[in-house]
Amino acid sequence: MVAVQHVGDDRTAGNAARNLRNRRILAHAAIFVILIATWEIASRLGWLDPLFYPRPSNIMRSFWLIYVQNGNVWYHLGVTMSLVFMGFIGGSVLGIVLGSLVGLNATLRRFLKPYVIVLEATPRIAVAPLLIAALGFGVTSKIAIIVLVCFFAPFINTLSGVMNVNAEKLELFKAMGASKWQILRKLVLPDAIPVIMAGERLALTAALSGALVAEFIQRDQGIGSLILVYTRNLNMASAFACIFTLTILGFLIFRGMEIIDQYIAFWKHEGGRDRVSAKRRAAMGPQT
Amino acid sequence: MTDARMPTGTLILDRVLRFIPHAILLLLLIGLWELAARIGWITSIMIPRPSAIGAAIFKLYITEGTIYRHFFITLTEAVVGFLIGASVAVGLAVASSMSEVFKRYVIPYAVVLNVTPGIALTPVIIAWFGYGMGSKIALAAILCFFPIFVNTLTGLVQVDEDREELFASLGASPRQVFAKLRVPAALPLLFAGLKIGLTTALIGAVVAEFAQATDGVGVLMSRFSFQLNMAASIATLLSMTVIGLLLFYTMEFLDDRIVFWRRESRRAAASRAAARTWLGQLGK
Repeated sequence: MVAVQHVGDDRTAGNAARNLRNRRILAHAAIFVILIATWEIASRLGWLDPLFYPRPSNIMRSFWLIYVQNGNVWYHLGVTMSLVFMGFIGGSVLGIVLGSLVGLNATLRRFLKPYVIVLEATPRIAVAPLLIAALGFGVTSKIAIIVLVCFFAPFINTLSGVMNVNAEKLELFKAMGASKWQILRKLVLPDAIPVIMAGERLALTAALSGALVAEFIQRDQGIGSLILVYTRNLNMASAFACIFTLTILGFLIFRGMEIIDQYIAFWKHEGGRDRVSAKRRAAMGPQT
Repeated sequence: MTDARMPTGTLILDRVLRFIPHAILLLLLIGLWELAARIGWITSIMIPRPSAIGAAIFKLYITEGTIYRHFFITLTEAVVGFLIGASVAVGLAVASSMSEVFKRYVIPYAVVLNVTPGIALTPVIIAWFGYGMGSKIALAAILCFFPIFVNTLTGLVQVDEDREELFASLGASPRQVFAKLRVPAALPLLFAGLKIGLTTALIGAVVAEFAQATDGVGVLMSRFSFQLNMAASIATLLSMTVIGLLLFYTMEFLDDRIVFWRRESRRAAASRAAARTWLGQLGK
């Protein structure tokens, strides 16, 4: 009886929480709709020049136009995303490998430090025109720019992750006679992985920015050049549709990285820990 | 602490001795590069000789002096954009830390702004603010907004619970809690955000210059690159590095002075100064 009562309490508490949540989402939606409506009305009344500040209704129409009717955005999106993906893989592998090499070698670290500081202060995207001039117009220079732009965050994060080894744990490992490889594999890397993943997340965002800059300069294909062309034609509604596409894409990237993070650094998250230990239990089950 | 006790002479000597291998390595690398170019191992015009880069720097800075105007224009754009973006970000962060409701309604928009690559706005910003400095300042402000906002808000909200309880039990007013507990706790993170923001503001200014401008280091850079004048464009790139270092070390210096309690030596200096004040008052 008592237990049933308790469950009932829980349910009402859950309902109340859900109600509160729903009410909050409603409030957010209401504010959003009011903002959009104000914008639309301001534009229709002539307070905002629709040539420069497109109406929400026009942006929606452009979404329909570029996605369904003309369907031209898909090609450019595909071009940009494949570039981002290739450059990101290259840059992050390079960053992680170099970062762990430098992090594990004190002499190398000492001699590279000034260069790293100088490189950190340089706006790395600024190298874009130079790389385009050196490697020519086309895919190669774009990928080179993306690699360069997204190399740095994984490098720095791997470096600091590898260097911040817990001294007591290291002593324990040494006292138990662990080999260098074992220390790296079982102590240094697991401790460093959350930091490295944070670097990867930054790198992916940077890769997208790098691709956009490369396309702004080259103006041939890709979502960046599409935005540029639409803006030049003062077709602001379509430019905004492209920008909001990038917002959605950025959000997906963000969520995707979070999910990958939960799989790779599973011990950081409750759910991941449970999942892995359940899997291990299942694997151990038949043997015992 | 050890720094303070060590005689300054040996300290400087130690620094110089440490510096020598770095300098030798750098000279060796540059020498090798120059040699390789002269012998003909590196024939590409894309990789200029160090001496050519040196000559380009000399020309840009001394004989022609063209760089200064562009240098200061970019610097101004980045700094003004940074100041605008940072004040908006800090203001919104302070307001959100004070009001739960305000925070709830601001954060979704801040997140949307964060996941949109700000650089994608470049053409639109140029259409809105024109080809002059305004568009560069605007892009710099937009790009540096989010890191500063997030860092300040995190700093203001994450307060040690024990300390908060101590403040409450000593009967501190909300204003005192804010000024004496939240702000000092937030300052290190705020400065971390400001440092990131300053770098991104510089990136914003330079990218906007690439897209469309008449003055600035970014324009100089793309102009030299497309003339295949690699030595001059590398010299320009080095000036961007100088701007970056200048901004970074200014921030580092401010950080060091304002958040003095995080650094051992500064803490010692501050407590000595405090002790002097107290001794003076006792002597009266």
